[in-house]
Amino acid sequence: MSARIGVYVCECGPNIPDRIDIDRVLEEISPLKDVAVAKRYRLLCSNDGKKYLADEIRSEKLTHLVVAACSPRDHEKTFMKVCLEAGLNPFLFQMVNIREQCAWIFSEKSEATRMAVKYIRAGISRVTLHEPLLQKEIKATPDVLVVGGGIAGVETALSLAGQKRRVYLVERSDALGGTAARLGRLLPHQGTDMRLIQEKIEHAENNENISVFKGCEVEDIRGFLGNFEVSLKRSGGEPPPEMFRVGAVVVATGFALWDAFDPDVTGYGKIDDVVTSLEFEAMSASGKILKKNGSPPRSVALIHCVGRKEKGYCSKVCCLYSLKFAHQLKDSQPAPDVFEFYSDLCLPEKTDQDVFEEAKKRGVRFLRADDIRVEGRNGKIRIAYRDGSAEEAVEVEMAVLAPAMVPAPDSDRLARMLNIPLDETGFFKEAHSMLDPVSAPISGIYIAGCASGPKSIPESVVQAQAASGKILSVLMLGKTLEPEVKVSTIKEELCTGCQTCLNVCFYGAISFDAFRGVSVVNEAICRGCGSCVGSCPSGAISSKQFTYQQLFKEVMEALR
Amino acid sequence: MTPHQERTGPGAVPAQAAFLPAPEGTKKAVTDFLKTLMDQGGLDALLVPVEVPDTPFHAWVMVKKSEVLDKAHPLPPVMSVQGGRALSSLTKHGTPWLHIAAVMRPCEARAAVELAKLKQVRLDNVVLITIDCPGALPLAEYVADPEKGQERYKTVADTWHENEFLRPACARCHRFSLTGLEDGPSEGPAPDDAPASVDIHIGLLGEDQNGILLLPVTPSGAEILKKTGLEADRPTAGWESRVRDLLKKKKEKRQAAHEEFRKDITGLDRFLTVFDPCINCHNCMNVCPVCYCQQCYFDTQTQFCTSSVYMDRARKRGALRFPPDPLLFHLGRMSHMVLSCVSCGACEDACPVSIPVGKVFSWVADETQPAFGYSAGTDRGDPLPLQNFLKEEFCEIETPSACGQAQSTEVKENA
Repeated sequence: MSARIGVYVCECGPNIPDRIDIDRVLEEISPLKDVAVAKRYRLLCSNDGKKYLADEIRSEKLTHLVVAACSPRDHEKTFMKVCLEAGLNPFLFQMVNIREQCAWIFSEKSEATRMAVKYIRAGISRVTLHEPLLQKEIKATPDVLVVGGGIAGVETALSLAGQKRRVYLVERSDALGGTAARLGRLLPHQGTDMRLIQEKIEHAENNENISVFKGCEVEDIRGFLGNFEVSLKRSGGEPPPEMFRVGAVVVATGFALWDAFDPDVTGYGKIDDVVTSLEFEAMSASGKILKKNGSPPRSVALIHCVGRKEKGYCSKVCCLYSLKFAHQLKDSQPAPDVFEFYSDLCLPEKTDQDVFEEAKKRGVRFLRADDIRVEGRNGKIRIAYRDGSAEEAVEVEMAVLAPAMVPAPDSDRLARMLNIPLDETGFFKEAHSMLDPVSAPISGIYIAGCASGPKSIPESVVQAQAASGKILSVLMLGKTLEPEVKVSTIKEELCTGCQTCLNVCFYGAISFDAFRGVSVVNEAICRGCGSCVGSCPSGAISSKQFTYQQLFKEVMEALR
Repeated sequence: MTPHQERTGPGAVPAQAAFLPAPEGTKKAVTDFLKTLMDQGGLDALLVPVEVPDTPFHAWVMVKKSEVLDKAHPLPPVMSVQGGRALSSLTKHGTPWLHIAAVMRPCEARAAVELAKLKQVRLDNVVLITIDCPGALPLAEYVADPEKGQERYKTVADTWHENEFLRPACARCHRFSLTGLEDGPSEGPAPDDAPASVDIHIGLLGEDQNGILLLPVTPSGAEILKKTGLEADRPTAGWESRVRDLLKKKKEKRQAAHEEFRKDITGLDRFLTVFDPCINCHNCMNVCPVCYCQQCYFDTQTQFCTSSVYMDRARKRGALRFPPDPLLFHLGRMSHMVLSCVSCGACEDACPVSIPVGKVFSWVADETQPAFGYSAGTDRGDPLPLQNFLKEEFCEIETPSACGQAQSTEVKENA
C-alpha cells in the first residue's frame, strides 16, 4: 500500500493567514508525491478541529499526518492524541511549526509563504520515514528510599507514610534527627523546648509504614524510576539488612561543618575556649555554657563567615544562629559582653529583623570586621581585625566560630552510585536550582534539605514536603509508568564497544554488555536526548524518530 | 590555545637499566633477552614479529616455545601489520588469562595504548615492551625487491636515521625511542607518578655499542626484569643524552617538513590537488591501527543519495564528480581519529597511488593534539579528548565573554 499523507494547515485564528498565503501553500503542497489531501482549517486545536481531524484521518484513510500550525510544544501532544483516537499510530505524525518559525518572524508575506512551503515539504519528506512506535508500560514500585535521617529525611518519610507508602529511612548514625536534634534552642521564639522535633522523630520510629535503618549506609543502588534495587550495609561489619526495591530515592544527607580552617588564624584547637557553633549548641543543650576552667565566660566573640571566602558561598543560617547565641548569652546571669564579628549580615526571614534589633537593644556589639585573626594572649583570647583601614583588637574569654556548611562526607560516593551530579560547591545539583529545586536531573531521584546546599530548618521541611508531593504525583499506587518512546537504539553489528557513549549519557541509561562486547540502552531510563548518537564514533547509535535518514531528508528539503 | 588539561610530563626515564652484552650484535642480544624473558620472566607467551620461513617477511606471532624466538625480531625491515592492530586482534574480546609480553616499535605501542583507551585492546595482563627504532623501509619498494631491501635495511639499522632509505613517516619520526622522553625535561629524576605508556624499553643507542640496555619503566616492568635475574645497575644517562640529541634533530627536521608541507596544502584547491589521485580503495583506513570502527560509514551505501539529489547539485555547480565527495572520506576519517594518530605511517605505506596521507595526518595531529593538552599514546591514564568533557574546554572559542580576561590574554600570547 502506498502512503497517503494528509497535510492540514491550521489558521490559528488570524495568526497564520495574516502573514502566510495559505492557499498558495496548499497549491504547492498538493501535487507532491504521496500527498493525498492538503487542506486548511480555522483552529485545529479546538474541539471541533480535533473532531474534524479525526474524521479526516478515518475518511481519507490516511497513513501519515502532517499538521502545519503552532510550535510542537503547544499542541504536538494534542494531535498525537487525535491520531490515537482515529486509529493512526501517533508517531506517524509530524508537526510543522509555521507560526513561530514563519508567520511571526518574516515581515514579507511572500517570504513567510516560501518558508512555510519549505518547512512543510521537510515535514512531509521525514514523516514517510517514521516508524510506528509503541508506547510501553513499566510496572513501578510505589515504595521510597530516604537516604539520611535528619529533619528533611524524617519529614519526607512522615509525609509519604501518611499516604500509605512504605518508606525505608536509612541513617548513618545511630539516631534520627540529624543536626536539628542537636540544637540547644530554636528560633524565632528562643524556645528551649525541643519536644516538637523529638515528637517527629518518635512518630517516624513508630510509624508502621516506615522501616528505619539506623547505623546503616546505602551499599548500592541500581535501576531507574519505579524500579531501584537497594542494598544496605551496616557500619561495624554486622550482617546487612535485606535488599529491597523502591520506586524513588530521596537524598536527604544534610551537611557537615567545614573543619579545614587554619588553626593559626582561627585559633581552633590551639587556644582554649575557641569552639565551633555546634560545640556551642551542645553546651547550650546541656544548659552549661562554661569555659574550660569551669567558670562562665565574661565576654564572648561570635565570629561569622568562617570559610565563606574559601568556599565561595554564604551558609545562610550562621548570622541567625549567632544572634540566637547572643541572646542566649545575654539571658545568663551575669550577662557577658557579646561581640558579633560579621562582614555582611544575612537576615532574610520576616521574623529575623526583630531578633537583630532586640540584640542591639540588649547591648550586643556588632563589629564589621575583615581579616579576623584569633590569637592567644595571657590566657585570654585576642581577636585582631581590620575595620576599614584601622587595625583593631578586642579581648574576650570565649570565641565561637561559625564555619561554612559543606557537603556531607561521602556525598561523592552516593552521587556516583546514583549517577547524579554534584555542583561546583560539592553539594548535590538540582535539576534546576530555581524551577525544579527538589529533583535531581535523573528521574526518580529527589533531593531535600541541606544535601543541595545550606538551608534553614523551615526550608528543609518545605523541601521534604515538596519532594514527597512530587513522588506521590509520579508514582501513583496501582499505576504503571510510561517511559519515553523516542529513545536511542544501538546497532550491535556496528558497535565496537569503545564505551564512549557511557561517558556522555547524562541519565546513566547505557550499560556495557561485556559478553557481547556492545553497549546497551535501557529504554526505561533513556530520555532520547541524543548525546550518545552524536558521540558514537562508529555511527552505531541512532535515535528513534531522529534517525540519520529522517534528519537528512528533512534538512535537505528545508535547504533545497 | 589554552590546553584543557595539564599534561603531567614525560615518561619516566629510570636512572639505571640492566645491561646485556652483545658480542654477536644487538639483534642476537635482543633475541637472547626475549628468550630469558620467556623462560624466567614468569610470562606465558610473547607477541613478537617472527620471520616467515623462506620469505623475506615477518609476521606477528604469539610465541609459546622459546626456540621459536631465534627467528623473532621486533624490528623487521618493513611494518606490514601495525603491532597495535595485532595486539587488538589478540586481546579485544576479553583480558587474556595468559600473562603475555608484546614487543614492538614505539609507534606500535602508542597505537596499542590508544586502542586500550577505546577498549579495543586490553592491557591488563600485557607487558608492553618497546625498542629504540631505526625506522623501516617503504613497504612497496621492499616487496618489489626484497634482496635490495634487506641490504638497505642493514644500512638503516647501522646509521640511525642518517640514511636516505627510510620510509617518509620514519624519516620524519621524532618519537622512535622511549615514548614520552621527547616531551620531558632533560634534567632531574622522573616523578614517581610520571605517565608511562610502556613497561620495559630496550635501548640500542647506548654509548656502549657492545650491548643493549633494558630500562624498567614501570614497577611491573622492573619486577619482570628482576625475575630474569638481570641487575639494573648500568646508568642510563649516556643513552638518554644520545637519544635526546637525535630526537631533537629529528624534531627540527619534522617541523621543517611540516612547515614546507603547509605551503603545499593550504587552501582548498591545493588540498584537493594533494588528494586528487585517490582511488577510493580505503587502504589507509584498513591499515590504520586507530581506525577501529566495525564498519566505516564510508564503506556503506548510506552516504549515497538518489540521482535526483545529484542532479540538483550538478545543476548548481555545473558538473559533479563521481563517486562524489572523495575528500569527505579523508576529512571524515581525520575528524574521527586524528587526535589518536600516532604517526606510524601505515596509511602512507598502504597507499597505492602515493598520496602523502601520513604526512597530512601527522601534521594535523601535531597541531590538534596539543590543543587538547593531549599526546596520543604517551600516557595510559590520560583520557581521550573525545571521551573527556570539561566545562572550561575551549571556552575561549565557544564563549569568550564567560572566559575571563586572564585566559583571553593567554590566548593572545600563544597565538
